[in-house]
Amino acid sequence: MTGPIPILRVGRVLLATIQTELRDNVANAFQQDVLLALERGAMAGLVIDISGLETVDTYVARVLADTGRMAKLMGVETVLVGMRPEIAATLVRMGYAMEGVQTALNLQEGLAALRKKPREE
Amino acid sequence: MDHRRYMKVLKLDEAEVASRRAFFELTDEDLSRLAALRPFAEKVTDAIVEDFYKLLLGHRETKKFFPDEATVRRVKKTQRDYFLGLFNGKCDLAYVEDRLRVGTAHQRIGLSTKWYLGAYRKYMQLICDHLFEELRDQDKVRDAFASIQKLVYFDVVLATDTYLAANIDAIERHQAAIRELSTPVIRVHDRILLLPLVGSIDSHRANQVMDNVLLKVSEAQAKCIIIDIAGVPVVDTKVADNLVKTTAAVRLLGAETILTGITAQVARTIIQLGVDISAMHTLSRLAEGIELALSLVGKSIQSSARRPTRRNKRKTVRT
Repeated sequence: MTGPIPILRVGRVLLATIQTELRDNVANAFQQDVLLALERGAMAGLVIDISGLETVDTYVARVLADTGRMAKLMGVETVLVGMRPEIAATLVRMGYAMEGVQTALNLQEGLAALRKKPREE
Repeated sequence: MDHRRYMKVLKLDEAEVASRRAFFELTDEDLSRLAALRPFAEKVTDAIVEDFYKLLLGHRETKKFFPDEATVRRVKKTQRDYFLGLFNGKCDLAYVEDRLRVGTAHQRIGLSTKWYLGAYRKYMQLICDHLFEELRDQDKVRDAFASIQKLVYFDVVLATDTYLAANIDAIERHQAAIRELSTPVIRVHDRILLLPLVGSIDSHRANQVMDNVLLKVSEAQAKCIIIDIAGVPVVDTKVADNLVKTTAAVRLLGAETILTGITAQVARTIIQLGVDISAMHTLSRLAEGIELALSLVGKSIQSSARRPTRRNKRKTVRT
């Protein structure tokens, strides 16, 4: 692991909880770590919990969305969980609604969404 | 409303007073001339105040503000202080604050500007008459009157400002009240919220709707929110665009938005405007919206006669 964000393996799900502010280089390292972890094991899903994040700029939002798309290419569904209301409002007002990324209210819902059949995008 | 608050609302500080004085060409020379006229003022104040109140008490609209003798005596005393205040040779923040206090008192009792400002005309005439009587010399009268006029106009503007500030303050309070009432988010069922929008939506309110919806969805960890727009008279591009944005933001939180109350007119408008609302669940009736919301949380309404077909029908609509 190269970045400071812990990525845990829970059963066949990869769980990343982001608690610190995501600077650009941290976000890039995080993306790298996630992809490497997906490469190593046969994963069924990826949950990124951002409930601890207080600010997200468009760059970080794009890195997160891209990570989801990359995981998808590797056959893994991604769910982004716990986005704060202010962040959602800001992203949408900046015109970046992260289309194509599956979302859930909290970790529990995110795991439940992965258990269901992935929805067609 | 406190006159000190108006000082803030009107941003009356040292710099503001200085810039007003500059515009009125109210110089230190004027002020010292006024200070020199103090003996004149003290001599004529009683006569001026008496004549001034003859006008006010002679008109029905203004007379009603002086219901009894005691009031008349009190206001005459205040008026004397006010008049002498013009001849203190000072025009600083303390002076402005004092003038604002006077204006606030008039505004508070509900004396309208036409009488308040109109009375100044009489005031000026009385002052002019007495200046001629006392000073006699035409040049002296002209200089004195010019100085008095500057300060009186300065006061008149402050009085007008007080009234404006009071109105702005009232409007702001009303807006706050409307804001509170404008986005009533209701919990319909476990994890289902409803926002009935009533009345026109400007961009300010639209932003507020979005913020409030997101906050409530997050607080209640709601699975979906129904926005009913049956009570919105006009749905234009801006309103439609904002509903699309709100839906996108709600999705980012991990919840869904259902838009109901779409009349034939609104449907026509949205299509004609070319707004893409394909990402939203839209329905014409609120009842249908509630059924859809329930199906999203894995529940359904069933009549006691058991009509299982209804739920199945809904499911086919969704996929």
